[in-house]
Amino acid sequence: MSVQASTDTRSPAASRGAAAPILKTELLTVRFGGLAALSQVNFEVARDEVRAIIGPNGAGKSTFFNCLTGVLRPTGGRIVFNGDDITGLPSNAISQKGIARSYQITNILPNATVLENVRIAAQSRRHAWNMTAHHSAFTDINEKTESALESVGLRSKAHELAANLSHGEQRNLEIGIALATEPLLLCLDEPTAGMSTAETHDTMQLVKSIAKDLTILIVEHDMQVVMELADRITVLHYGEILAEGTPDEIQRNPKVLEVYLKT
Amino acid sequence: MIKHSNKTYWIGFCVVLALLIVAPLVLPEFWRRFLTEILIWGLLAMSSDILIGYTGMISFGHSAFFGLGMYGAAAALLLVSPPNMWIAIGFGLVAAAIVSLFVAYFSTRLRDIYFAITTLIFSQIFYVIIFTWTEVTGGENGLAFSRPQLSIPGIYSTPFTTETLHWFVLAVVTASYLILRRVTQSPFGMVLQSIRENEPRTRAIGYPVERYKIVAVMLSGLFAGLAGVLYAIQNKFAAPDFVYFLISGETVIFNVMGGIGTLVGPIVGAGFFLMLRELLSRMFGDQFPYLIPLGFIFIAMIIFLPQGLLGFARRWLNR
Repeated sequence: MSVQASTDTRSPAASRGAAAPILKTELLTVRFGGLAALSQVNFEVARDEVRAIIGPNGAGKSTFFNCLTGVLRPTGGRIVFNGDDITGLPSNAISQKGIARSYQITNILPNATVLENVRIAAQSRRHAWNMTAHHSAFTDINEKTESALESVGLRSKAHELAANLSHGEQRNLEIGIALATEPLLLCLDEPTAGMSTAETHDTMQLVKSIAKDLTILIVEHDMQVVMELADRITVLHYGEILAEGTPDEIQRNPKVLEVYLKT
Repeated sequence: MIKHSNKTYWIGFCVVLALLIVAPLVLPEFWRRFLTEILIWGLLAMSSDILIGYTGMISFGHSAFFGLGMYGAAAALLLVSPPNMWIAIGFGLVAAAIVSLFVAYFSTRLRDIYFAITTLIFSQIFYVIIFTWTEVTGGENGLAFSRPQLSIPGIYSTPFTTETLHWFVLAVVTASYLILRRVTQSPFGMVLQSIRENEPRTRAIGYPVERYKIVAVMLSGLFAGLAGVLYAIQNKFAAPDFVYFLISGETVIFNVMGGIGTLVGPIVGAGFFLMLRELLSRMFGDQFPYLIPLGFIFIAMIIFLPQGLLGFARRWLNR
């Protein structure tokens, strides 16, 4: 991977606490019948922060992501992103506002090439309705596509079918597709799930490198990944926020140790 | 590499086009008409490939767009005197556009089989309206009219002959093919193919999927309507049978036989199907239930050639 490991990518989010948060949820609630998957979650992320969301299975992490990206409509509460209320907007509108997402289960266009996968995302901001030009004729889109491929290290595989990539490469392609939409906030749902140690390492370097100019929310089970990447960590438990703090604080928090880290 | 295979593609295109231009000069009268008819059905099939092959929506309602194009042309040819070819085309396209906007608006909210059934129901509604509204549509008997002249407004006007009609239809079908090919290769066309491959993902990267589907249905309906106009001009009548769902079914069969997602495949499929039908009825007589062996051939093709006749060349044709 061509990405350079930087020694310290943690942006001191706390030090610019005065800036308005890029994402804020107020009393966010999702109910499936009688079950509250999320109940009254108040959550804030500062601009350029890397925030990890952890918690046992069923804690509501994926539900939270689904609300943020418009897959699920929350039962109650509000989501404010970059100054706009985005509660209940469809996912295409949320994408246009600047929230991108990679999926827990690889979600790409398997019969298209790597290049096509990224380009379709890149052209979603400009020229999308053009019917008269060839799709490869736009230099701005091609440049954006190239740079997204470059940053996820898939440039050499641009003309391979996405279905033929290894699992790890497909996961990185996911991130490349998300980056090509030029998001302000990137939600990564278990980006290293099912990866080998080496692949996990590469993906961590990748996330570090893109975190320089992007706010990142990351759901992850691998504690090593979380502790190394995140500026701050939010712990969800039964749909509620159990604790929030720096990796050090979370590791020492007795409640967190009790429900999650100990096991 | 891409340049090179583009060159072979255009050479192939020119060869086929040249053969189709020369064909009416060498073929006997019957086969000349037959070839023209294949092109018209091919255009109908090609228009539905935009939905079936490129967007992943199977329409069973293309007879409505085809039929409305036909009746639109009929209206122009009966109401405007002297009958004018371009006004007929205009009327047919407007009628098809209105119907396809109506169908698109309601059916694109649904997916897969529900979309297919909705388009089928809409086409049957139009069939019933046309069949029963005898004062306007001629009901069961349809409408007969005279063929307009081949004209370039203000410059030139001459009655159609079998040859010039063939060349005219060929020109329209070729232009339609080139337009649709460009549309499928455009950024818009890529969005349609992305919807086919993975609809939720397409939405998630920022595309309002429903709007793209509505435009796709309208585009498809417009070219189906154009095929209806050509058929009206060729056969000098419009009949409710052409709005009936059997036509929609045949359109889907042309697509499957020829290879979906190739645009030219459906034309080849239409030619293959109509040739087979013609050969079977010539071999065994008019009373022969040709659909039975045709059905067996179709099943065999699904099993042994699921990609269709041109499916193997799909990526190459779309480059």
